[in-house]
Amino acid sequence: MIFRTSNPRTARPALRRVRTTTTLRLLHHRLDPATVEEIPFRTTDGVRLGLTRIDTGDRAPAHDRPAVLLLHGHTASADMFLLPETRNLVDALLDEGYEPWLLDWRGSCRLPYNETGRRYTYDDVALYDIPDAVRHIRTRIGERPLFVVAHCIGSLTLSMSMTAGLVPGLAGVVSQGVFLTPKLAGRTSLRMTLAGELLKSRIDHIPVDFRKVGLWSKYTPLFALASRKASCPDPTCQILHNSAWGTGACLFVHEHLTDTTHDRLAELLGPAPLSILPHLRRIELARTVVRWHDTDHRYRALPQNALDAAARIDTPVLLLAGSENGLWLDSQKLCHDVLAHRQPQLDITYTEIPGYGHLDTFLGRGAALDVFGHILDFLGERR
Amino acid sequence: MREMKDNVSAAADQRATAEAIERGGVGLTVTDLLAKVTGSAEATVRPDDADPPTPRGAGPGTPVPVHSTPPREVDALAAAVAAVAGRYVPAGQLAPDADFFDAGGTSVNAVELVSALEEELGVSVDLDEVFADARPISLARRALESTGSAAAVAAVPEAAVPAVMQPVQAPPVAARSLTTPSDSTARPDDLTQILADLALADRLPFTASPEPLPPRRILLTGATGFLGSHMLLDLLRHSDAHVYCLVRAADEEAAVARLGEAVKGYALPWSSEIRRRITVLPGDIRHPHLGLTDERWNTLAHEVDSIVGVAAAVDFLRGYQSLRTSNVLGALTLAELAATGRPKPLHHISSIAVFNEVGIPSMGEDDPLAHIDRLVAGYDQTKWAAEVALRRARDHGLVVTALRPGGIGGHTKTGAYNPQDLSSGLISAFGRFRTVPAFRYLNAAPVDWVSRVAVAVICEPDAWGFDYNLTGVPNTLDDVVRDMAFGGMHVRVQDWDEWRTDALARLQADPISELAFLTRVLQSPTALKLCEATLKGPAATADRTTALVEALGLRPASRYDARAQLKTFERLAHDGLAHLPHKDDQPYLWFTEITEGTVGPIGATPDTSCSMSLTLSIASMHQLVTDRRVDVRGEVTCPALHPEPLTVERGDIWIRPEEGIPHRHGLRHQLLRYRLELTDTDGGRWWLEGHKYARARRDLWRQTRALTVQLGREGEPASLAGEVVVPADSYVRDQIDGIKVDPHLTSQEKRAAKLTWLAWFGLEMGRGLLGPFARAAADLLDLRRTPTPTEHHR
Repeated sequence: MIFRTSNPRTARPALRRVRTTTTLRLLHHRLDPATVEEIPFRTTDGVRLGLTRIDTGDRAPAHDRPAVLLLHGHTASADMFLLPETRNLVDALLDEGYEPWLLDWRGSCRLPYNETGRRYTYDDVALYDIPDAVRHIRTRIGERPLFVVAHCIGSLTLSMSMTAGLVPGLAGVVSQGVFLTPKLAGRTSLRMTLAGELLKSRIDHIPVDFRKVGLWSKYTPLFALASRKASCPDPTCQILHNSAWGTGACLFVHEHLTDTTHDRLAELLGPAPLSILPHLRRIELARTVVRWHDTDHRYRALPQNALDAAARIDTPVLLLAGSENGLWLDSQKLCHDVLAHRQPQLDITYTEIPGYGHLDTFLGRGAALDVFGHILDFLGERR
Repeated sequence: MREMKDNVSAAADQRATAEAIERGGVGLTVTDLLAKVTGSAEATVRPDDADPPTPRGAGPGTPVPVHSTPPREVDALAAAVAAVAGRYVPAGQLAPDADFFDAGGTSVNAVELVSALEEELGVSVDLDEVFADARPISLARRALESTGSAAAVAAVPEAAVPAVMQPVQAPPVAARSLTTPSDSTARPDDLTQILADLALADRLPFTASPEPLPPRRILLTGATGFLGSHMLLDLLRHSDAHVYCLVRAADEEAAVARLGEAVKGYALPWSSEIRRRITVLPGDIRHPHLGLTDERWNTLAHEVDSIVGVAAAVDFLRGYQSLRTSNVLGALTLAELAATGRPKPLHHISSIAVFNEVGIPSMGEDDPLAHIDRLVAGYDQTKWAAEVALRRARDHGLVVTALRPGGIGGHTKTGAYNPQDLSSGLISAFGRFRTVPAFRYLNAAPVDWVSRVAVAVICEPDAWGFDYNLTGVPNTLDDVVRDMAFGGMHVRVQDWDEWRTDALARLQADPISELAFLTRVLQSPTALKLCEATLKGPAATADRTTALVEALGLRPASRYDARAQLKTFERLAHDGLAHLPHKDDQPYLWFTEITEGTVGPIGATPDTSCSMSLTLSIASMHQLVTDRRVDVRGEVTCPALHPEPLTVERGDIWIRPEEGIPHRHGLRHQLLRYRLELTDTDGGRWWLEGHKYARARRDLWRQTRALTVQLGREGEPASLAGEVVVPADSYVRDQIDGIKVDPHLTSQEKRAAKLTWLAWFGLEMGRGLLGPFARAAADLLDLRRTPTPTEHHR
């Protein structure tokens, strides 16, 4: 490689080496700080995660507020539900009388695991992060109903946990983007495989923040590739909107983001670890959520193929997807059709949001108008 | 509705008259009737006539005292007509000076009214007359005119009609002095009225310029309409404003319900998140002060910082008199509100109809409008009058933006369309009859683009105060024909007159309730003129809009082509307006397939022969792309089921069903799925389910031909299983060389159809076969050693 592998000026400060514990980046929100409760939360395999409860303040007694767990997508974080610049999902849930809980699972950009630390696969998320968080929330909310609203990989791993029977008795699940049947465009899949195979011995993650890597680095070709045919000059926007971490997919409809959100993209979405690619590829080529660990018996609680175990789903599911989803395409419609055919007893509904892409269903400035109504209606019917 | 407020005694009188007419109607002459109803005519004077409610009412020349001169004959007949007409409006009664359509009468009601008048009163009125001016008093006058009492009629100027909705009447002098050129096509009455209405703008107060800030509180009228509801959502999405929606309803609850129904009806979201940002005001643009209380009017005048007037009565059959209260007086009331209190811009949704004159040379944003005396349809006249009146309002300091959409097509993403829209009707007629009239340009743009650009203008102070053509990129005849062919509908072009006669004959021979309004349009001479002007007009240009769209970084206008129309077309088809090609129609393309093999009881060795001789057909490429499905007919010979061949009652083949996801965990991907319903000669019913599978093996040629089948009696589990295969030597002969295409197509279209099918099917099969190999290859790659990350900042 002609490029230098490290740049002394951009190397991380030494603090990371002396600190022994993992710390979470602070949440960025406009709520009263007193109402945001950060819970020190560790999974049973010993990984520090972020779990946040939004207290309802003095609005209404907590005892009749159903809890809603919000799961972000991979490399995003709980910040995606708390955008201060627009009407966000947490605002809408609080106003409608719910108690939002935000989990930063190990793929969160508030945590360092995407760049450093030990490798993980989506099996770990499905086996440890989500079931442990649900268990913890249940100890706090008692008999109150618990809903889950999950986005992208958060939803994909949730489908694995659900079909494994690890999170029984949820009151309802809203899944955005992808659920049991992930489907990528052939081009995206090919580029993901090629890039992963070529780069995996050289780099271990794909950064998105141009300001942190600088103009001349080993990532420069990646950013250059991502800028091909891009309409927006911002390199971070290019590698996300135009290329989705180099895969060539489109993550959101550009005009749906406010300028502020657009400028904060590097904060909202972090680097993608290359080590996850083999599992993602296996899942995508099979068009179903499959387990990575075939020989490790710690993971035997998870089904080998989540779709085959879909009969274990015991809760109504709302499948949401933007009609212009450039990453997962029409996976949700496919999931609805497949489940309607193979598991007709399940309560699965599919709602398409016209004109929306993937991320803008939560980050878009009109998301409250176009998307949250569907979520609130679904929760309201089942609370 | 104002008519509801009429005093009860008048209503009772009218009803009594109506009942009397109904009971004894047959033997009565007109004179008898007149004698009967004269008494009640006096009572129908509205109580609220006493206090003219609007400042605009203080016109020059005191209104002629009511009932001073008119002969009793006209009034009496008008009362009789009103009594009959009252039965067809929701309120159950109609004042002689109130418009039948404004009171809620529909075009169907109008047809019924005409025959009722003929039957019960012996008054024969032309249907077109009703549409031109549907006030009972005018109908009465016209009826008397035609029966020879012309002298009496001439003595009754327009102004003598007791009018509440018309605060200012046309001065009779103007009517006489008005000279019209010989090629004028407008009715002189209408021209007089238009001039009088234009003069209303001169009475607007003078006002200062509004603050050039994005709006925070917007008053929106017409939010229950097609464009209005899309604009409501876009205003909420693209601004932080709170929107006040003026909705016609009895009270606020009903208004909210009505708005919600309308918004949901256009496939738009309606939730608490939307309701928290709007305030619904029950009111009516046809009324002075919008039908609001003075307090609310004043509050709005001082609080609202932007007014968006979308509301309009869109009807191509009705005349100027019938539409002016909504379209002209309504716009002027909004101008009054804009000029009162805090200065605020008025954004007026006009229409490209202001250019709708046969033979107009160009339709640019700053080009002269049509000659008013050559506009025919009342709708065109009202839109012209409103825009010209608001131009005059600009001289009073008011900032007026005129936004002129052309045809507003269905939403490109949701497919929501306007069922009463002429272009929807025409498109569905094109698809249904497979013919199009020769037009020059269709100036139409999808509603999402029109609404987005209109909202961008409203939210951008620099853009206020100009005229914009929101017409998008015009479609030429060639574009439309090509687009429809692309969608599998090969249409033939006809001359406009030929098309009209032909379409009308077909619509009358086989009435389609959803297209009834199109039938009426094609029968009405005025509406036909409107259609003709639309179809023969030049392409609208929109330089200012284009520049604005570019400056604001909005999606540039693109042609409203087949892809953009697809969702709308699907929705039209779903609602019964359009007609998608169906399996019972002449297939677009078909070929035969022969399979041979053996089946046997489940678990045993298959040893009974089984063969199928099928005809595979598709009705259109649309079916392939959306359903991925091929229709099957033919027969199955299987002695294990029945000695005689079984007929395929209904059969489908899905190509790569469920994206090929295996039935069970593994590498056996689905390639094709066959589902046939069979009947034997004794009436027994059977089913056959077959699959072709792709596997990561080298026998690809066999994978594409071998069909694993299961058979069983209807409603019972499978009793036989086996495998049938397409013989290798028949494949090319039947399925490539043997493809037949709809004989109505030209040879060029046939070749294109055949190639498209082969390319599509080949690609799908290729993708299906590749799936298992890709997974196997990925498994091999995963065997590679995972390197320890080398990066510095671990």
